Amino acid sequence: MTTTESNQEVLEEIRSLLQGGLETEAFPRADTHDAVMAVISRLRVAGDDLKAKLVIGGFTPHPVEHGGIEQPCETCMYYLVHRRFCELPELSVPVEPEWSCRLWRI
Amino acid sequence: MANLLWLQGGACSGNTMSFLNAEEPSACDLVTDFGINVLWHPSLGLELGENLQKMLLALTSGQMPLDIFVFEGTVVNAPNGTGEWNRFAGRPMRDWVTDLCKVANFVVAVGDCATWGGIPATAPNPTESEGLQFLKRDHGGYLGKDFKSKAGLPVINIPGCPAHPDWITQIVVAVATGRGGELSLDEFQRPKTFFTSFTQTGCTRNMHFAYKVSATEFGQRKGCLFYDLGCRGPMTHSPCNRILWNRQSSKTRAGMPCMGCTEPEFPFFDLAPGTVFKTQTVMGVPKDMPTGVDKTGYIKLTAAAKAASPRWAEEDIFVV
Repeated sequence: MTTTESNQEVLEEIRSLLQGGLETEAFPRADTHDAVMAVISRLRVAGDDLKAKLVIGGFTPHPVEHGGIEQPCETCMYYLVHRRFCELPELSVPVEPEWSCRLWRI
Repeated sequence: MANLLWLQGGACSGNTMSFLNAEEPSACDLVTDFGINVLWHPSLGLELGENLQKMLLALTSGQMPLDIFVFEGTVVNAPNGTGEWNRFAGRPMRDWVTDLCKVANFVVAVGDCATWGGIPATAPNPTESEGLQFLKRDHGGYLGKDFKSKAGLPVINIPGCPAHPDWITQIVVAVATGRGGELSLDEFQRPKTFFTSFTQTGCTRNMHFAYKVSATEFGQRKGCLFYDLGCRGPMTHSPCNRILWNRQSSKTRAGMPCMGCTEPEFPFFDLAPGTVFKTQTVMGVPKDMPTGVDKTGYIKLTAAAKAASPRWAEEDIFVV
């Protein structure tokens, strides 16, 4: 299986989980450095557990507006436009541009 | 011949090491080509004990002219404003500094410690350190904000941790060859010829900055270091990517974020855990923007640039 096929498979799994109503910790957003580091520490413990990553990261299948700023994956610094991939090492998952998570940063 | 004296206060000797590595011109060129008489330097001086003391007294009394006084390291005032924690040649170093600055034609502060206190002056500043004419961003420092050397210039600040070798020797040559009066200094008394552009100017990762592609881990060849890894290149004044280090490279070219060491606040955030090599954000937006850019403009630009980024920008490519 190629990386692209594998990413596609994971992407479909994530989509299915999010659209199936998976409860994630979308709020509170990680507004401060300490909050970011707290979330990242939990993600490190979660390791490769995909479901745990989505929950802790606070993934949503739609953009979240916070503090007057829309926070979709497509404008996040960790998003690779052409690969449609989140490059934050602790997440490292395929994502859609209109999704969002609480670690968004620009 | 221009007489030059180099002394060291609260310092790690990093600027001495830097100076000795200068190439254009080299430390030897100062003597052989530019007629600079290095009276004494911590790593080069021959005089010891009483002989050194005699020479210093000859300078402070005016018996021997002092054209250029170079100071490296902080002025140490501890304990309790006495300066006794940093004694040199029989008295607190700060007393030598006071007397030598009165007789020197030009006073040059080399490195962050001498310019604005640097790491030793970071809170809680146990050595009561300060720079010659600044304490961090506050004008004044040890000599006071009104200080002018005999030539009529304030302290010439060459910051950096350490300062680049050639910034040091080129400024020394300018002063020694009678062009000191032509030096144009910025608000922090840094020579504008070196400290007007940004560290980012000439950075080989600029294309990744433009397309908002981030380096997310050390060792990646692609990506800008500003967005996640704490690089201060877009808001730090230095020519690090114009006048390369070892004539080869720079921090950012080698994948190391700029730490902003030519700015008065260095080390930033008082080295609090988690603030080094991590871009500080508030609600996902960098706390410190590239100089001259506002938050709204930054967000708009980022969204547009990211959408327009080419595929190659996301791949590892050589940027050295």
